[in-house]
Amino acid sequence: MKSFLSTIKFDYLQRTRTYSFLITLCISLAVAYTFVPEPNASYSTIRISDYVGYYNSAWFGYVTAIMTSVFLSLVGFYLVNSSIKTDQVTKIGQITAATPASNFRYLLSKVFSNFLILSTIVFIIFIMSIILFFLYNEGFPFELSQFIVPYLLIPIPAMFFIAVLAVVFEVLFKKYSVIQNIGFFFLFSATVFSTSPNEIQYVLDPFGTKIVMHQMEESVKNILQVDEQTNLSIGYVLGNVQKPKKFEFNGISFPLSFLISRIAWILLGTILIVCISPFFHRFNTKDRPKITSTIPKFFNKKEGKEIVLSNLYQSEIDYGIFSLVKTELMLLFRKGKRWLWAINLIGMVLLAITPVEIAYPLILPILWFLQVHRLSEISSKEIYHNVHYFAFSSHKPLGRLLTSQIIAGIAIILFLATPLLIRLIITQDFSSVGYIITGSVFIVLLASALGILTKGKKLFEILFFMITYANINKIPFADYFGGLIHSSNYIISLIIVTITLGTIGFLTRRYQLRK
Amino acid sequence: MTLEIQNVSKKYNRNKYGLKDFSITIEKGILGLLGPNGAGKSTLLKMIATVSKPTQGVIILNKNNILKDANYMRKQLGFLPQDFGVYPNLNAFEFLEYIAAMKGIGGSNLKSKIEQLLDGLNLLDAAKKPIGSYSGGMKQRVGIAQALLNDPKIVIFDEPTVGLDPEERVRFRNLISDLAQDCIVILSSHIVSDIDTIADQVAVMKNGSLLSYGDQEKLIAHVDQKVFSIIIDKEQLTNFKNNQIVVSTSRKEGMLNVRYISETPKEHSIPEQANLEDAYLYLTKTN
Repeated sequence: MKSFLSTIKFDYLQRTRTYSFLITLCISLAVAYTFVPEPNASYSTIRISDYVGYYNSAWFGYVTAIMTSVFLSLVGFYLVNSSIKTDQVTKIGQITAATPASNFRYLLSKVFSNFLILSTIVFIIFIMSIILFFLYNEGFPFELSQFIVPYLLIPIPAMFFIAVLAVVFEVLFKKYSVIQNIGFFFLFSATVFSTSPNEIQYVLDPFGTKIVMHQMEESVKNILQVDEQTNLSIGYVLGNVQKPKKFEFNGISFPLSFLISRIAWILLGTILIVCISPFFHRFNTKDRPKITSTIPKFFNKKEGKEIVLSNLYQSEIDYGIFSLVKTELMLLFRKGKRWLWAINLIGMVLLAITPVEIAYPLILPILWFLQVHRLSEISSKEIYHNVHYFAFSSHKPLGRLLTSQIIAGIAIILFLATPLLIRLIITQDFSSVGYIITGSVFIVLLASALGILTKGKKLFEILFFMITYANINKIPFADYFGGLIHSSNYIISLIIVTITLGTIGFLTRRYQLRK
Repeated sequence: MTLEIQNVSKKYNRNKYGLKDFSITIEKGILGLLGPNGAGKSTLLKMIATVSKPTQGVIILNKNNILKDANYMRKQLGFLPQDFGVYPNLNAFEFLEYIAAMKGIGGSNLKSKIEQLLDGLNLLDAAKKPIGSYSGGMKQRVGIAQALLNDPKIVIFDEPTVGLDPEERVRFRNLISDLAQDCIVILSSHIVSDIDTIADQVAVMKNGSLLSYGDQEKLIAHVDQKVFSIIIDKEQLTNFKNNQIVVSTSRKEGMLNVRYISETPKEHSIPEQANLEDAYLYLTKTN
């Protein structure tokens, strides 16, 4: 037992002692700050028709717990869904595989480690929710239990289930990260949006949010004296000019079935791990392409040739970046499985044949998001693949290599958008063309800057996912490609943000090179 | 061609140095860097290769301060790091083309040159396979090829023989000797036999400091008439090791033949011809 706990502890420490985790925590704090809007804010997070609760302890505790459960379930999966792959890359996996630790024990330790990571973020948000209560206090007393109870019963069991799902997906789909990402997204959407207020639904809700939201709706229905469905919104809704009315929400008394269901979800998660344990590859993977055809040739070499320096051709100087761009493009094209390009082609066909109203705001961001695995490594792959000694000792690595990476990234993103761009050009909608080009530069520079800053890809993957999720849900401030908003002020702001990202990326890489 | 390293230090925190007040002047030929793990060899090589910067001191190549003008060094540098990676989806040919582009090398002869290098390193048959499928030794040879792409004048090999089989090691040594006709070659290793047959000069390092520097004779002079062998019981070995610097042991008719370094040899000891390994052990154990 002690060694099992040590495994979890050190895995947790290893994963949290990174710069990217620190940034993740900072972003979590910033996001948590928005969970309960400032009294005069023009957006809402949870709103039932025109009502929000009085800013008492229960409202803060329950609203932030629900928001945490929903958003961290979505984002958290992407944050922890590569724990096994990391062991493979760092080659710790092979050492682990040679120990007596069973598959179940190893996978369960990964679940707990994932769970601890997510719980750390939950804890940070929990603290922020209390700070927010005192910040926006409307004279209501502070009740700690109104914070602790919802957090214990809503996000914490949900995080355990997410920690389990991350491991299950990683074991079952191994290196098919695209299937993992898309599969979870659909599973999450199906779970979140199925609504019918009854006790069985509450029990079957892994995120534990529906019971609270329906209780809130009931409270508002009582005030309005209506039986029909109220308009409940969860998520960021912008532009609320009308000040909301207030209703009193004092928390809920959770039924016993719900309490048991939380434990049942944790048990179910553990059973899932038992079930998938036999399918775990235990690091005996076939990631490496077959070399059987190469090795015999190598060992059957007829003669041991040597390099004769005097016979070598003289090198010619060529400081152009065309060759670099070409290889960067090649690396981007070859990233991931070839059949994924079939999906890209389908996306491009859809961009060509569906109405522009669907192709532009919906298909384009999804098609671009499918390139997340290509873009996320665009400026950090040298470090990931340990090629940085070559890259950083090359000729003008900042001006030539980084520029090539960015050009290649923009080229591939724009290439995917070509059918839509042609349609827009034909209809002389040049402002949309301008937006799409700006959007492509923005997303590539975001990937590059975050990759350089964090020396990893996780943060960009999570952010890109959140941005795309917001795009699909038509949340305006996440519109980076002009799918929803067309205004000169907006595109100027977008260009300024894009230039800032480029500058941050360049300056940080320059600092890293000098250091 | 002269590479001067003047009072270079690399400080990690208040008490921890990767390299401490290190000075050395290197001329054309082969410099062998010897030292135990953690001696600071890779730290020094990374600074010469402009990948890392010292916290103190200067590195001057032909009167150019490379800390201020890193590209002066990079243009004429061939660097094989100790622990390098590759892009697994590229084949050897493409990877070398990519590195050439990074180095600012191109022209019509580039493809032919890459072919020559791959052929010379016996990689031509596998050149079109993804590098992800290569064995450790094959990857190491791709690393050697990339270091030679730009006709380097300074060549740095950090633990280059890792993963090479004995036959390849011999060929690699020949290559280094060939390179040293026109270049500065710096070769680091903690295996003395990798260095002693080819190095013109040898520097021994420990804990970030230079213990000794000079030609092999100068280093061996440290242990001149201090190397002996003796036959002892197996049971005596532990006690013997506590009092002497033991270089090696071998079994001989149920007893142990021990080669050791001492200023006051034990009775029945036989004087032995000192070599570079003796000098290296003596310097690193007594400092």
